[in-house]
Amino acid sequence: MNEHRLINLVLRSYVVLVFVFIFTPIAGSVVFSFNIDRFPSLPLGGFSLHWYETIAADPAVWQAFKNSLMVGVVVSLVSTVLGFTAAYTDFRYQFFGKSIYMALALLPPTIPVVIMGLAMLAFLSRVGLSGEIYAVMISHVVMCAPFAMAVIRMRLAQMDPNIEAAAWNLGANQWKAMRFVILPFTAPSIFAALFVTMAVSFDEFAVAWFVSGLNETVPVRILNTLQGQVSPTINAIGTIVFITTMTLVILAQLLLMRRHKPATA
Amino acid sequence: MKKSIDLSRRTFIKTSSILAGTAALSSFLPMRSFAAAEKELVILAWAGHAEPDIVADFERQYGVKVRAKYYTGGDNMLGLISQSPPGTFDLILSDAEYVQQLNAAEYIERLDPADYPFDDFYPEFQHFPGHWKGDELYSVLIRFGFLGIAYNTLLVPETKVRSYSAFWDESLKGKVGHFDWHLPNLGQISLANGNTRPYDIDASHWQSVKQKMMTLRPQIGGFFDYGGTFSSLKNGQIHAMCGIGDWITGVLQRSGAPLKTVVPEEGGLQWTESYCIAKNAHSPELAKKFIQYITSPEGQVKSAKMAAYPALIPNKRGWELLNKTDPAEAKRQGMVLGQHNVMDDIRAGRIKYRELPVQQSLEDWNDFWSEYKGA
Amino acid sequence: MMSNKLKVSPPVVTDGSAAQLRGGRRGLRLPWYGFSFSMPILIWQLVFFVFPLAFLVAISFWVVRNFRMVPAFEWLNWNYMLSRGFFWDAYAHTLAMAAGAAVLISVVALPCAYTIAFKFRESVKQLIVLLLITPFFTSYLVRTYSWQVFLSDNGILNAALGQFGLEPLAMLNTAFATYVGYFTLCLPLVVLLQLFSLMYIDRSLIEAAHNLGCGRMRTVFLVVVPSARIGIVVAALFCFILTFGDFVSPLYLGGGQPPTLSTLITDTTKSGQQWPRAAVIATMMIVTLLITAFAAVRFAYRRRA
Repeated sequence: MNEHRLINLVLRSYVVLVFVFIFTPIAGSVVFSFNIDRFPSLPLGGFSLHWYETIAADPAVWQAFKNSLMVGVVVSLVSTVLGFTAAYTDFRYQFFGKSIYMALALLPPTIPVVIMGLAMLAFLSRVGLSGEIYAVMISHVVMCAPFAMAVIRMRLAQMDPNIEAAAWNLGANQWKAMRFVILPFTAPSIFAALFVTMAVSFDEFAVAWFVSGLNETVPVRILNTLQGQVSPTINAIGTIVFITTMTLVILAQLLLMRRHKPATA
Repeated sequence: MKKSIDLSRRTFIKTSSILAGTAALSSFLPMRSFAAAEKELVILAWAGHAEPDIVADFERQYGVKVRAKYYTGGDNMLGLISQSPPGTFDLILSDAEYVQQLNAAEYIERLDPADYPFDDFYPEFQHFPGHWKGDELYSVLIRFGFLGIAYNTLLVPETKVRSYSAFWDESLKGKVGHFDWHLPNLGQISLANGNTRPYDIDASHWQSVKQKMMTLRPQIGGFFDYGGTFSSLKNGQIHAMCGIGDWITGVLQRSGAPLKTVVPEEGGLQWTESYCIAKNAHSPELAKKFIQYITSPEGQVKSAKMAAYPALIPNKRGWELLNKTDPAEAKRQGMVLGQHNVMDDIRAGRIKYRELPVQQSLEDWNDFWSEYKGA
Repeated sequence: MMSNKLKVSPPVVTDGSAAQLRGGRRGLRLPWYGFSFSMPILIWQLVFFVFPLAFLVAISFWVVRNFRMVPAFEWLNWNYMLSRGFFWDAYAHTLAMAAGAAVLISVVALPCAYTIAFKFRESVKQLIVLLLITPFFTSYLVRTYSWQVFLSDNGILNAALGQFGLEPLAMLNTAFATYVGYFTLCLPLVVLLQLFSLMYIDRSLIEAAHNLGCGRMRTVFLVVVPSARIGIVVAALFCFILTFGDFVSPLYLGGGQPPTLSTLITDTTKSGQQWPRAAVIATMMIVTLLITAFAAVRFAYRRRA
């Protein structure tokens, strides 16, 4: 019993250690964002809102936030719709070449972002779309739809397929069954997908850097700062992004948690 | 509980549909409508060239807006131009050696020399190589600087950096950094090898430059882009840097870091930045006005003191104004009139232009650089 | 996680009879309903995903004249790139780094995922999952930059070591720092994926093993790990994919040396707009990833002997 406890203690400390590693850079950037030093070291310099004031006074940062928001909203809506249709297709139909179909729907996150960026830029510039804000939107939908599909498909997996069939037997046509059975059942995951895809889009820098042209998004702005005049404004922007995405993720989590309650269908 | 969630959900749908609507609407407007012609100037440049310290006066004077896309290197610049729809940029800031490439690819317009104050320029910069094709002008030089040995004055004694051999010093093992671009680094090693024309070397000299370079590899602590160069010097990670100059150390100096660039006895290199007007520019007139603005004495002083990175300026009247308004900066950069200054260094032949390799192809140099990095 | 679902789904999806029933109901009418759900993603990914990638591959056969790309069908760039020693050096290096990251991160993550799955209460577990999702949605760039401050010679870690009278360690601009970046990028994801597969292990299996007198370690290696194989392999695969293509950590933490394939892509464009050669490298990367992914998925779903 004692040995058992000891092992548990060791294992739990190990988990704590892993979490310390994971959260060190995040906590670091939050702390540095309030630090007056340009290159913080121990002992830490004084508290300052300087970097926040700097970004607040920079119209390019505001524009970047506006662009990111615009991209995020459009991307989350479109990719969630696409993800939903794909998840539902996978749930309901068997057809020839389905594994290829699914591979197409799920593959984009496995392509390195540098290559995605290169390919999107080469392609979009040929069709005259590069450098426009919708170039970022298109690329992000490609990358985000699989996430939406995964989230919604997980929810559908919990549904008894006979429920839909029962609705048809009761005289509902397919669209009605969709409207009154499938949609309500998957609603929490749809909202979760909206938030998750928006969060992914909000942090994507590589592909956006290639195709965004003059329309910088927030992560592109960060990358540009990292490539140019490195400054702790990165931490301030990062902290704001962190708070924004965390809010989205927590909202998503709250919505997803509803699925643990009895199904409302 | 349930009700409140439903409510927030409804509000969410409402808000998001409104947002999406606005987003969709505004994204259907072309990013650069023709109505914006001559109202907005788009510059493609190294980071910092369109910041308020440079462009605010211009914007006020002409009631226009200056926007910028910053690149991270000459090749990145060419890539951005080739992948953007024509007319995306009005003004292109280019390193001098890329002007010929821009011209060969037909990305830039011919200029009228009468529009620009070449008479005020030092004679060395009036007919700068590569900017003219015979009598045809394609680009206007606005600023330049020297590349030498950048070093941390607290960690490396000044006596050590009088020659490029400092990079091989035992005490700097793992502490020498490279700016990640083949041209300036190989040029400096070529100078160290005693080549008077560092970029115009025959096969056997090229061979010995390569060999010399390879012997430096064990000393190297890293290869850095612009931002990486900055932070690695500033946080003391790198003690001496090959391939850069005051354009980096000057900024760090201003913020109090103990860094400096010297031109060693084997001589230094010169980087040069010039403005070109893009083909199919939406605001060609404004682009011309901006070049006039930045080559005027006032503009030249701004350019010399640019917040992102300082530089030397080619306009004599700019020198005069700088000496009057900011003698300290004139002294720091060696642009004091009437005493030994950077023009003397140039005239003494201590400074060579950075150029594209003459006898080898660019890809020979680049391939060797990749090989060197991987060694 | 995703390929996982891909294979798990068929039994969940309707049984044959239900599908037939539906077919019968639709009768002679065109399946508009089905089309309107199956087509959108197909069209979108074909146009905006498959086509751009195919175009990139096509570009690898183009030539560069006067610093501009000209359509052609030449093997020039392929011959050129594949005969360069530095290309294969970078390739081997990238492959080794990514494979190393996949193994190392999996090994580090597994005890953590195991503990979370079996040693915590349900409510704590949920909180942990939420915490694990957090870093996934914070800026990777910002975290990398933050590590720079910790790892540099005069950085926070060395200052802390100095307090104990220890010599400063060279960490930044080494392979060690690159790995710190890789761990930052992948560790949360790998723990999550492993955790999901461990949570679904049938506990009675573990109890049965215990009842049969199987020791703790033996149970872990003979029962737990094999049952969670799919999740573990898929997590390692994701780790490999992410690190294989990452350019941020090698550049901003590893000091850019030696170059990885992603760095080489940028470098290649530095000899006068050689995008076609960059496309060759990109194609080689895609092929490598596809082969690895295929092999890993095959391995994960292989029937146990």
